[in-house]
Amino acid sequence: MNTISLKKLFNFEKTPLNVVMAFVTVALVAAFFAGAVNYILHGHHAYNVTRQHPWGLLISMYVFFVVSSTGLCIISSIGHVFGIPEFQQIGKRAIAGAIITISSGFAVIGLEIGHPVTMLIYNVLTPGLTSAIWWMGTLYGLYLTFICLEFFFLAIKENHTLSKIFGICGLLVGLAAHSNLGAVFGFLVSRPSANGVFYPVYFILSAMITGCYLIFLMYGFRYKMNFPEKVAIMLVKLGKILGMLLAVLIFFEAWKILTALYGDMPERAATILHAIKHPNFWFGELTLGMLIPFVVILLSNAKAIKATVYASLAGMVGIFFMRYGLVHDTLLYPMTTLKRAEYELAPTFVEYFPSATEFAIGLGGIGLSLFLYYLADKIFNLDETAHH
Amino acid sequence: MARYGMALNYKNCINCRACESACKEENGVLLLKDHYRIWVGVKEAEGQFPNISIASQTYHPSQCQHCDNAPCQQVCPTNATYYGKDGMVMVDPNKCILCTYCINACPYDARYVDQRTMTVDKCTFCSDTRLAAGETTTACQATCPTKVRVFGDLDDPNSEISVLLANKEYRQVKEHLGTKPKLFYIL
Repeated sequence: MNTISLKKLFNFEKTPLNVVMAFVTVALVAAFFAGAVNYILHGHHAYNVTRQHPWGLLISMYVFFVVSSTGLCIISSIGHVFGIPEFQQIGKRAIAGAIITISSGFAVIGLEIGHPVTMLIYNVLTPGLTSAIWWMGTLYGLYLTFICLEFFFLAIKENHTLSKIFGICGLLVGLAAHSNLGAVFGFLVSRPSANGVFYPVYFILSAMITGCYLIFLMYGFRYKMNFPEKVAIMLVKLGKILGMLLAVLIFFEAWKILTALYGDMPERAATILHAIKHPNFWFGELTLGMLIPFVVILLSNAKAIKATVYASLAGMVGIFFMRYGLVHDTLLYPMTTLKRAEYELAPTFVEYFPSATEFAIGLGGIGLSLFLYYLADKIFNLDETAHH
Repeated sequence: MARYGMALNYKNCINCRACESACKEENGVLLLKDHYRIWVGVKEAEGQFPNISIASQTYHPSQCQHCDNAPCQQVCPTNATYYGKDGMVMVDPNKCILCTYCINACPYDARYVDQRTMTVDKCTFCSDTRLAAGETTTACQATCPTKVRVFGDLDDPNSEISVLLANKEYRQVKEHLGTKPKLFYIL
């Protein structure tokens, strides 16, 4: 941990990239707080969520952040928990990233849940043990505690044994929490397009992919694309892991879609067909999120690290569309039970577009992450220390 | 303890929507978009002029099914949704955190956010209004001019609803989901 003055804290090298990043960070943080103020003033009226589409961009962004956190935790565990030497160098940076992203996720969800204080009280007093949200929330609270302790013993008071123990605990609880987040959607018997085993498993897979993308981005920025040999070796290996994970994800997605369409099952087939025809899926989720990074890794045999960093940026945009699609596609099909023409309007697929406030808070959460990461990078030494 | 349910002679419905008005008046439901505990769905007439099947146009009054195995209750993280006395699915506004998971989980679109309490609201079979005052009917039932609704104790073999269900064919909505709904549409 570095002792640092406030002046030094906000002093950085004025390269064009750093200045752009600083501007983006400040703008997004300002947007977050502006959105938060608007929400405090107007409540859920500031959002475009409705009875037919009760979850929107903020739930998507919460999922985006916690997926990022779990992914970073899983990828960091390759070196830190499982002892693969090349990956031990990413431990501190990845765990710092995991703490930061989940904190941003909690900040975003805190402005979506109507009564967060009531939640803290009654989650304990009258727990809903059959609720995937209860398990997800409770386990994520525990997960945050473990990874904070892990980081404490990695970066502040170095103790390799304790950091490894808390690392294992954080990994296991994080995996449980994250698959429960998948179950939040998978358990919905009312939504045939989401119901089933797919999401709890897919969430873990897509988390690992998100973790790889973020490692590439963090290291690309850290070394300004001039990677030391040790880092380059690690990133080539990580690229190969990412390529394999993307292949598995593409395989999973293909079979999910084929299974959903096959037999034209009521509600499910029409919903998935509608979803995959939208650019959010075929351009955002598929092209940006999967194909571009996969092709870059495949063609270069994972050796084009710089290209993979840029592809990871596309990948993260794709991951955003994945999370948005997860929520929106689940709610696409109208629950028109015996409401075939409610108030003379024939039911159609439910439409939703986030409000300015939702965009401000949701994307502003990314600003929070960037700002916290900047602080963490300044205050702590996130690079590998000698004892590794 | 009773186990309340409702049978609907939906073919008698004339789509006057007096039930919707009575529900709002009795339970103080706000006059806002998306604010309704009950509704009347319309199935449009089939065919093309002049061969329109008048018989195919039907009205479907509906509301919370007060499922015996309610998905909204299962997913509630704080048990704000609970099974009240007489088998009704109720909401405790003090415990509701407004995560709206129940709205997503309900296959019947029976829930909405009440702007008064900022919690998720739903039909209560008038249990905290009319039934609490000693009445034996719900507002929607009492006001219906064609007597579509029959409300009563499903566990009492001599109740009007039990006798009706014993003697008539009926169907339920989305019962394949295992929700065990307690609204019965008389065929």
